Amino acid sequence: MSNDTVVRSRDTTVLESSHDGGQWLSALGLAAVLVVLWEAAIHVFQVSSFVVPAPTAIVRSLLENWTALAWAALATTQEILFGFCLSAIVGVLIALVIVRFERFGRALYPLIVLFQNVPKVALAPIFILWFGYGLAPKILLIIVIAFFPVAIDMLAGLQSVEPSFVALMRSVGASKGKILLQVRIPHSLPYLMAGLKVAITFSVIGAIVGEFAGANAGLGYVIQFASTQLDTPLIFAALVVVSVLGLACYAIVERAERLMVPWAPKFESTHA
Amino acid sequence: MTAAFKQPPEQTASSVAAPHIVLRGVAVDFVLERRRNRVLDAIDLDVRKGDFVSLIGPSGCGKSTLLKVMAGLISPSEGSVTVAGLAPQHAVKARLIGLVFQEATLLPWKNAIENAAFLLMVADGAVSRAAAFDRAAAMLRLVGLEGAEKKMPSQLSGGMRQRVALARSLALDPEVLLMDEPFGALDAITREEMSECLLEIWERTGKTIVLVTHSIDEAVYLSREVHVMGANPARIIETLPIHLPFPRNGESYANPAFKAAEHRLRGLLIESHAKRRT
Repeated sequence: MSNDTVVRSRDTTVLESSHDGGQWLSALGLAAVLVVLWEAAIHVFQVSSFVVPAPTAIVRSLLENWTALAWAALATTQEILFGFCLSAIVGVLIALVIVRFERFGRALYPLIVLFQNVPKVALAPIFILWFGYGLAPKILLIIVIAFFPVAIDMLAGLQSVEPSFVALMRSVGASKGKILLQVRIPHSLPYLMAGLKVAITFSVIGAIVGEFAGANAGLGYVIQFASTQLDTPLIFAALVVVSVLGLACYAIVERAERLMVPWAPKFESTHA
Repeated sequence: MTAAFKQPPEQTASSVAAPHIVLRGVAVDFVLERRRNRVLDAIDLDVRKGDFVSLIGPSGCGKSTLLKVMAGLISPSEGSVTVAGLAPQHAVKARLIGLVFQEATLLPWKNAIENAAFLLMVADGAVSRAAAFDRAAAMLRLVGLEGAEKKMPSQLSGGMRQRVALARSLALDPEVLLMDEPFGALDAITREEMSECLLEIWERTGKTIVLVTHSIDEAVYLSREVHVMGANPARIIETLPIHLPFPRNGESYANPAFKAAEHRLRGLLIESHAKRRT
């Protein structure tokens, strides 16, 4: 009976992973075709480079400006790193406080949901006003944008422990704190990781928006600067770097998820 | 097994002793939207030590609530409950009560033996990890899971997960095992396997077992006594002793005593269902 289930789950994993591999290949192929079509269209219709640059023009700009782009990427990465880590901490703490101090949590939760409805991007100019052009306003903006998915997902994880299991723990005299520490928190980790994956993409957005609002470094700053110069190839080059940076950040968080919560259903095969 | 654990009481199905669980005039009220709802009323129940009794009744009739009262998870609004002469909360503290629910609720990040040892380690801060694991391994053997100690819950079938949950409660070495539809989520054949497993454990350990079920077959096959519950008001409408001879096995299902008890229970349940609708 057990053998059956194990074999079956393995089979589906094999099926899915080969399916995934195929998907990646065809996606790359499609992308290549689109880039070639793009390049061809620019030349055929003689589109001006400052309206839409050809892929080759973007690559040229990337190569010409790579030191400036690298420095900008470093600045943006720094903002993302600090902003993301702090949003994770803030989100986790809020979830823990809401669960641990129920009465306070009941008061806090609606306020957080209310705050979520404030358009965060509109806060960027205020943060610039308060903290100037440096790192602080960007980090703050990332936190207000990215803490929410972390808090909500972590909270869902903490609260979704089977009530009968809580009864079982209570039946052997376990305190609320002990249940939180030994059951609720480990149980919530897959949920937390899902929240962190959303938070990391929000962090990238937050960093770029923060730089738009006022900065003297970073990829968002490069994009704004390039647009004042009508240097469209550089805008696109910076966009390419932002995308690669975002993908890399996401990949790191996903990797961490596999390491930290191998029991999450999705990764059943890793310990089979 | 270390000396720290008490040996199972020397007792077989044929020798049944003094009352172990006693309920007198128990009533439970739930307050819902400021309205008082009587969920259980006038429950008198005696379960003798080492006995195996089932509570059967239509769903929502309060049989799970009654089990929770015995487990000390719900305090009765009226009446008194004692388990081994103690109030349920104290019996729980003294680790006299083991619980098994419909869902196995294993911790997915722990393997079978870690799960089986988990409650014991939470309950007893003084027990060493090695001793708890020894005990858990012995209980996994008892429930027929030898060799599966290192498997993760996701690698176990529903029946095997429920066996781990049973081993987890048995690891506490409770005198009383309270089971709330423990096989309710399993398929028919697995249920029968689990019933046999449970019967064997009962015969070997002499625990007092109270089983909540809605399966007539299960109740008759396993129990020495079945309490039929009716709803509105939720109370025990009849107590039926089961005269099915031991040892019980696959052939017991064909025994005339089984058929007779099954027929009687079916009649009572249909009657109580009909009353509920009116």
